[in-house]
Amino acid sequence: MTRIVRLADKRVRIEDDSFTVVAEAGAELPAAGDIIVPTADWLGRADEVKARTGRTGVWIGPAEDPGALAGHLDGAALIAIQFPKFNDGRGYSIASLLRRRYGWTGELRAIGDVLRDQLYYMARAGFDVFAVREDRDAEVAATGLGDFSFAYQDSSDDRAPVLRNRAAAVREAKIVRAERALTAIAAKHPDAAFATSLSAEDMVVTDFIARLKLPIHIFTLDTGRLHEETLGMIAETKTRYGIDIEVMHPVAEAVEAHVAAHGAHAFYESLALRKECCGIRKVEPLNRELGGRSAWLTGQRREQGATRVHLPEEEHDEVRNMTKYNPLADWSWDDVLAYAARFDVPLNPLHARGYPSIGCEPCTRAVRAGEDPRAGRWWWEQSDSKECGLHESAATSLESATA
Amino acid sequence: MYRYDAVDQLIVEERVAQFRDQTKRYFEGTLSEEEFLPLRLQNGLYVQRHAPMLRIAIPYGMLSSTQLRMLARLAREYDRDYGHFTTRQNLQLNWPKLEDVPDMLALLATVQMHGIQTSGNCIRNTTTDHLAGVASDEIIDPRPYCELMRQWSTFNPEFAYLPRKFKVAFNGATEDRAAIGVHDLAFELSHDENGDVVMEVRAGGGQGRTPRIAPVIKQGLPWREMLTYTEAVLRAYNRWGRRDNKYKARIKILVEAIGAERFAADVEEEWQHLKGGIAQIADEEFARIAACFEPPAYLSDDEAFADVTALRLEHKRFDAWLRRNVVAHKRAGYAAVTLSLKRTGPAPGDATSAEMEGAAELADRFSFGELRVSHHQNLILSDVARKDLFDLWQAAEAGGFAEPNIGLVTDIIACPGGDFCALANARAIPIATAIQERFTPEQQEDIGELAIKISGCINSCGHHHVGHIGVLGVDKNGEEWYQILVGGRSDKKVALGDILGRAIKFEEVPGFVNKLVDVYLAQREPGERFIDTAERIGKAPFKAAVYPDKAVAA
Repeated sequence: MTRIVRLADKRVRIEDDSFTVVAEAGAELPAAGDIIVPTADWLGRADEVKARTGRTGVWIGPAEDPGALAGHLDGAALIAIQFPKFNDGRGYSIASLLRRRYGWTGELRAIGDVLRDQLYYMARAGFDVFAVREDRDAEVAATGLGDFSFAYQDSSDDRAPVLRNRAAAVREAKIVRAERALTAIAAKHPDAAFATSLSAEDMVVTDFIARLKLPIHIFTLDTGRLHEETLGMIAETKTRYGIDIEVMHPVAEAVEAHVAAHGAHAFYESLALRKECCGIRKVEPLNRELGGRSAWLTGQRREQGATRVHLPEEEHDEVRNMTKYNPLADWSWDDVLAYAARFDVPLNPLHARGYPSIGCEPCTRAVRAGEDPRAGRWWWEQSDSKECGLHESAATSLESATA
Repeated sequence: MYRYDAVDQLIVEERVAQFRDQTKRYFEGTLSEEEFLPLRLQNGLYVQRHAPMLRIAIPYGMLSSTQLRMLARLAREYDRDYGHFTTRQNLQLNWPKLEDVPDMLALLATVQMHGIQTSGNCIRNTTTDHLAGVASDEIIDPRPYCELMRQWSTFNPEFAYLPRKFKVAFNGATEDRAAIGVHDLAFELSHDENGDVVMEVRAGGGQGRTPRIAPVIKQGLPWREMLTYTEAVLRAYNRWGRRDNKYKARIKILVEAIGAERFAADVEEEWQHLKGGIAQIADEEFARIAACFEPPAYLSDDEAFADVTALRLEHKRFDAWLRRNVVAHKRAGYAAVTLSLKRTGPAPGDATSAEMEGAAELADRFSFGELRVSHHQNLILSDVARKDLFDLWQAAEAGGFAEPNIGLVTDIIACPGGDFCALANARAIPIATAIQERFTPEQQEDIGELAIKISGCINSCGHHHVGHIGVLGVDKNGEEWYQILVGGRSDKKVALGDILGRAIKFEEVPGFVNKLVDVYLAQREPGERFIDTAERIGKAPFKAAVYPDKAVAA
């Protein structure tokens, strides 16, 4: 018995098939059993065909006019379209016409030279059953149905054409790409670590890691000056995902020495002193955590400000001599919020109070309408210096930016 | 230029994964040679005379400096350190290894490039005016329409296995620089009386062994219906185009067989079911794409302008370069500059990796980091401030791009021919070189505009049918012979050249061309170009000059 691939409700099943194709019109029909007859038989000796026991379908050849069947399809178990060669494309247009012009909603089957690498196009053109050539494995062939996640143009399947639904498709595509990137990173770098600031972006990355069960180590940098709300996200993460975020602390002696020498608020005095403070509280603990690893990840986005407009998805971190990944590089703030809402990601309550980007408590303020998302970080400084040093490698892009 | 969003990027990435798997199955033996063939072709991969050839799509000729650097890198790391820009605004690498191609495509995907549908019996890379968006005679920028066509035609499930290849071209200017009359489907953009964009549609043009100028099949098509109408044309072609003989499988044969009027009527009927449907272009999507082609941050005309009269007098070659390689721009302070890939020696359209990197550098310095590839196989910097022209000229001279020969007798179009292509009957590149060597810069200047186009076989990749002088390689008992044509043109007055007489030998071709030029020089009237004289006097005087005995008999 032949095996067929059936696509129903977006699920793929491999089934045994009960139908026999009657190749020649006018041939003697078996008294019982399920058969697929040529259009000439279906139209020319309808009474005889329908009097049999067993179900009957009709097959149409590539040079035939599907319009001839219109209005004569009552009782047809299926329509099959015959492909004399896998590279004969006429059957795709016949399928389109049957689905869209003549309104056939029943089974539409591809028969003949039906192979794995054409299944994706066939499914899009409206076929839902694929009688894969007998010398080929139907299960292997069925994998061809999943070659592409999106389609630009409309066709006879139920995909929403990207050309008509761009915004939704782009948002979905970003999720698919981030999932693939993170899965690939975890496979390539078993020692990869993700530095979370517990911001919305980083909670999204945490959600990906948890949902995909990826073996990526997650840590955060407790500078000693974080908001209470920020620190609360560590427990939130444990509750929501069962993940223990490793907490890195600065070297106590270094912090004390800095405060003793310059006071508790030296960061307001000069860029150099601010950077020194960042160095002690953030950069050194980060480097300590990353030492010896081959890759790290961040939730940075290009949209975040002047220092990040050319952020690549993958770069070489020259300072630490490791690969650095920014899987959300092309995400907008709205993408982040939409993802968080859809996957029920816990968010730092400060975001709702006007803090899109959150650092240490004394160095972060809420932003006003129209301001850069990172305008509230070290707000007394120029926008081109607003980095703490974690991301200040002279990183070279391995990849061009996607818009 | 168009910038990918996450959907575009994901689609090319999934394409790479798909092709990597197909290549693996081919090497494992679970995908036969015959089954692999259309799959690799639709990724631009041919198997050629010496090695595979990879054709990389440069959509409607638009290229960023980042992309050009990647092409240079691929040529250096995977090929023999050079690439060939084609007459369809693409780039070909002639020596890649089959097993490397998935990795090459993966690298291309990182710069928003691919080889999708650059070959095979499908809808090919859309082409247009290389001055789109900047031409002084432009009515409508065709690039957003080209991009919509690119996306709609990419993996269109109904039209991936057409009877034969299908090439679409657009023009939005008064002059036609895209040779749209010799395409399978062509759109000419204009405004209707209400100021809305409408299209005149032609179908069934092409070169090859049955050259045809495409007849008009539709006037006044509203732009939003561009894709629904294309779908109707393609469905008619997919169903009724011949599949029994590959030489009669192009749409031009179908159109000619049933007649343009009947074909137009059939398409019109099919279109009645499609127009206004889901493939109608949405305003929001058009606006999103069009925003990618907004003009760059130009200086004001005053800021951009500089008087170079004194420099022209001082530097004769700069003066010649300004006249030949620099053309007017929409903005008075700017110009479009051609970097010539037509120097004597290298094949027309060839560029080494270093040259590609040099051109990318010039684009960054002088033209907002963008370039165009013309179907004349040159590179164009489309947005150069006039005050930078002298600096650019000096840099272009140093880079070997400043041959002041654009449009002249040495600006030859030629296919790769018998040196590389498995289909060719005869070599094309050495013919181009031999002709180029015959004319001094002064002679070239005196002769003026003259388009010589050379194809190594009847497939006509070198566009010989529409050359003012066309050269076609033919096979006679295993030897290379050449037919000479006169009078073809690919501009608004598009016409096919006439074959002058019997085929001639390789060595005879340059002398023949010389004699044809001499006829023009002797007979031209003031202000006439070669093609004008040829149009006025007909082909008899040319025939008489090169086949004297025949002329007597006639």
